[in-house]
Amino acid sequence: MNILDDEKIAIRVKNVSKSFRLYFDKGHMLKEKVLFKNRGQFEKHEILNDVSFNIYKGESIGLIGKNGCGKSTALKLLTKIIYPDSGSIEVNGRVASLLELGAGFHPDLSGRDNIYINASIFGLKRKEIDERVNDIIAFSELGEYINNPVRTYSSGMYMRLAFSVAINVKADILLVDEILAVGDASFQEKCLKKIEQIKKEGTTIVLVSHSMDQIQTVCDRCIWINNTKIAAMGDTENVIKEYITWMKHGKETQEEQNTKEQSPVKNHCIDQYTAELIDVNGCDKRIWHAGEKMKIKVLFRYETEACVRVKLEIVRFDGIRVYGETFDNDGTEFAVKKDNQVEFEIENLNLLQGKFSMMLYLTDSLGNTVGSVEPFAEFDVLDSKDRQGMVYLNCRCISGR
Amino acid sequence: MKEIYEYKEMIFSLVRRDLKGRYRNSILGFFWTFLNPLAQLLIYTFAFSVVMPMHIENYYMHLFVALVPWIFFSVCFTGGARAVIDQQELVKKIYFPRHVLPIAFTTSQFVNMLLTFVVVFVVLLISGMGINIKSICFFPLVAVTQYIFALGVTMICSTISVYYRDMEQIFGILSIGLMYASPVVYSLESVPEQYRHILSLNPMTIIIVAYRDILFYKKVPDLHVLFVTFLASLCFMIIGWCIFEKKQRRFVEEF
Repeated sequence: MNILDDEKIAIRVKNVSKSFRLYFDKGHMLKEKVLFKNRGQFEKHEILNDVSFNIYKGESIGLIGKNGCGKSTALKLLTKIIYPDSGSIEVNGRVASLLELGAGFHPDLSGRDNIYINASIFGLKRKEIDERVNDIIAFSELGEYINNPVRTYSSGMYMRLAFSVAINVKADILLVDEILAVGDASFQEKCLKKIEQIKKEGTTIVLVSHSMDQIQTVCDRCIWINNTKIAAMGDTENVIKEYITWMKHGKETQEEQNTKEQSPVKNHCIDQYTAELIDVNGCDKRIWHAGEKMKIKVLFRYETEACVRVKLEIVRFDGIRVYGETFDNDGTEFAVKKDNQVEFEIENLNLLQGKFSMMLYLTDSLGNTVGSVEPFAEFDVLDSKDRQGMVYLNCRCISGR
Repeated sequence: MKEIYEYKEMIFSLVRRDLKGRYRNSILGFFWTFLNPLAQLLIYTFAFSVVMPMHIENYYMHLFVALVPWIFFSVCFTGGARAVIDQQELVKKIYFPRHVLPIAFTTSQFVNMLLTFVVVFVVLLISGMGINIKSICFFPLVAVTQYIFALGVTMICSTISVYYRDMEQIFGILSIGLMYASPVVYSLESVPEQYRHILSLNPMTIIIVAYRDILFYKKVPDLHVLFVTFLASLCFMIIGWCIFEKKQRRFVEEF
């Protein structure tokens, strides 16, 4: 391992390229290779192309991007599971990865024996394991079960033991790949808490995840990989915003095509508009937390003057209408002119985690839609609590017997 | 090399896991280790002292001292092919020097062999053939030579079978052939003079002859030949190491 010039750098990735061979029909047998010479043709599939970045000591970095963009490949390159085709990766310090929990566990051996095997695979020396074994057992909450063979464990116990070992390696650099997607809610929470703690202790963390929520809570900086290159790098909030906008754009063009084909609506599609989603501090933002107060301001241009009612709709990413209401302004209709401004206020944004979009419709007195802005805004809701579904119903548990 | 030393605890753990895990749940426990050589010993003894007599005094012992190291070698040859493939889940998910796998496999088989040799010593003492202390001093040298050679074999075989999965079958066939190309069931003296040096090109021939000299004939083995074999084994191991080193970079992509 080379000594890095800059002491502050934990990982230096320099001009790294990696491509995989995509075999059309891969033969693994000598027999096949002799008999069918045409087999084993492959296409080069480029994953990363001339990628460079530095990760500094003690910082937490998130890797984001759509499926198959090379995030996991990048992580595997950092752990040296695979090697780059060109370029170099220098790592300063001990690396532990939560890529595989319970590596090398033997079902017939006791939990304690397996701690030793598992920890040794992470490169710990006997003395180091001796020092940590009690911490590991305590964290796993296995108690006296620790001396039973691992095959008698429930999957939850197995996971707890495996995670305890991995997290107690006390590495300088911790690599995490979607691992928090497994296990029950309380276990996930425990994982996240422990990662937060490790972060505070000064460990460098690299996290790959599709959950923007996780990335936001854990990471200081974020790298968005797209199409073999780094699309954006920097402050987590900004990169995520950019990423979500990009994802939205891709979706929008698709949706536009669909609606055009399906329904030749007679209404006027309003395409000249601006919209703001404003929080209590007066900031326009696109990532919201459940229960916040939201003010919606839409400015739009309408071609003709008319008396209309306005209708607001919120639709979840999967097309489910969460909310829709027509406002008639206390019976009086709203007279639209050329330039208009509509404001709404949502006292409690009682939505749970998900992507949502907002639509605005103008209807005449008969209920026909005469104008629409759809969607005028898209936003994400993050929810740190373990709640499932779409809306928050303000439910409390009063007693349990 | 330095990195592998740092991972020595992993090698120990894997060896311990292999030995412990294999015998933990069997009624006969550790005696399973000896069952395979004992069964082979009985079969070959019947074949070569009753059906086709070799005319060697104490033939069973003549065979026993050669059979034990042979089994070690043959397991490294055929089973060693699986040393990496069997651990592919580990290799895919976690970084560690890949060399650990063949080293752990060979070491675990080596420990097995040494344990079986304990039985050989016991039989030597019980049968009244005895042990010569002076010649036994050379036992570690022979054992180490064989270990180094076997490690090279495991490295090469495990590398090849990542790329060609069916090579394991071929290794199995080759292993039977090699057994008869080494003086396991017969003695080197019974081989016609003109073929003897061809057989001697096989390091296993020298190693088996040395074991037999030490334990069966109770004499000091031919040190000159043994030393050359030691160097040859070392070279072989280094070649195996280099092949493994070169090819292991793409292991994950080949699974």
